[in-house]
Amino acid sequence: MNVIFQSTYYTLYQANKERCFYLDFGQKTVRMSLCQLLSLRHKVMSIAIEDHFDSELNTHGFEILMLCNKEHLFILNTLELLDLKNLVENGFMAIGLSTKPMVVGQ
Amino acid sequence: MKDIARQSMSIKVESMDLLNGQIKMEAHASATYLAMASWCEQNGFFTSAKFFFKQAEEEREHMMKIFNFLVDTGGNPISPEVTGINHDYSSIVDVFESTLEHEVKVTKSIHNIVKKAREAGDIATERFLDWFVMEQIEEENTIRDILDMIEVTGTEGVGLQMIDNQVANWIE
Repeated sequence: MNVIFQSTYYTLYQANKERCFYLDFGQKTVRMSLCQLLSLRHKVMSIAIEDHFDSELNTHGFEILMLCNKEHLFILNTLELLDLKNLVENGFMAIGLSTKPMVVGQ
Repeated sequence: MKDIARQSMSIKVESMDLLNGQIKMEAHASATYLAMASWCEQNGFFTSAKFFFKQAEEEREHMMKIFNFLVDTGGNPISPEVTGINHDYSSIVDVFESTLEHEVKVTKSIHNIVKKAREAGDIATERFLDWFVMEQIEEENTIRDILDMIEVTGTEGVGLQMIDNQVANWIE
């Protein structure tokens, strides 16, 4: 497997033979097709990170992320979420599907 | 390293995001025209209601065209959430003026995606949007013609009834 991008907590890999991607979350590694990776990107982009800095909008500072058709569930704190956004942004640039850094909160 | 990503998807994710935004805009337009049709029905403008029912259908077709393009290019089309539809209009003139404003907004949005696709070298998206650019010229022209007809007819006396009858000329 080839490392595509590594952030503080996560690593994105490409598996050439299987024609898919692997995302290492630390606790577990998740196999993803490109469609599932796009879906992860959409979910991560849709999270209003600003709400994490407002105790009324996000009381506990956590987000629940369900991936790969509800096969995996992750609970991420603000730092992990910012890191995942960073991984998604740079990962898509590295695989050549993005030309610019993602706008957080888009 | 194999280019698995490029083999699975033919456009840039930035174009996909903008096209998903456009899907939402077309869905909003469709719902807005449905609200206008409802207003026209309730206020006795039955021909205009027919016109807006048809417009609502057309906007949904536009939405599906973009949706299917994202499917064909291996992207991730998102079914849009539509909220905040206005149902209040002060007159039939207000209805058509709002329609023109809405169409201009759609045109600007499409032009923006074309520009961004061109900057990113995304030829597929740019060429796909050619049809929409021409379609928007037609859409804007139709509404401008109706507003001109309203101006000439006037809204006094039987003017409103005449306006409604003449809208039939723009229902294909």
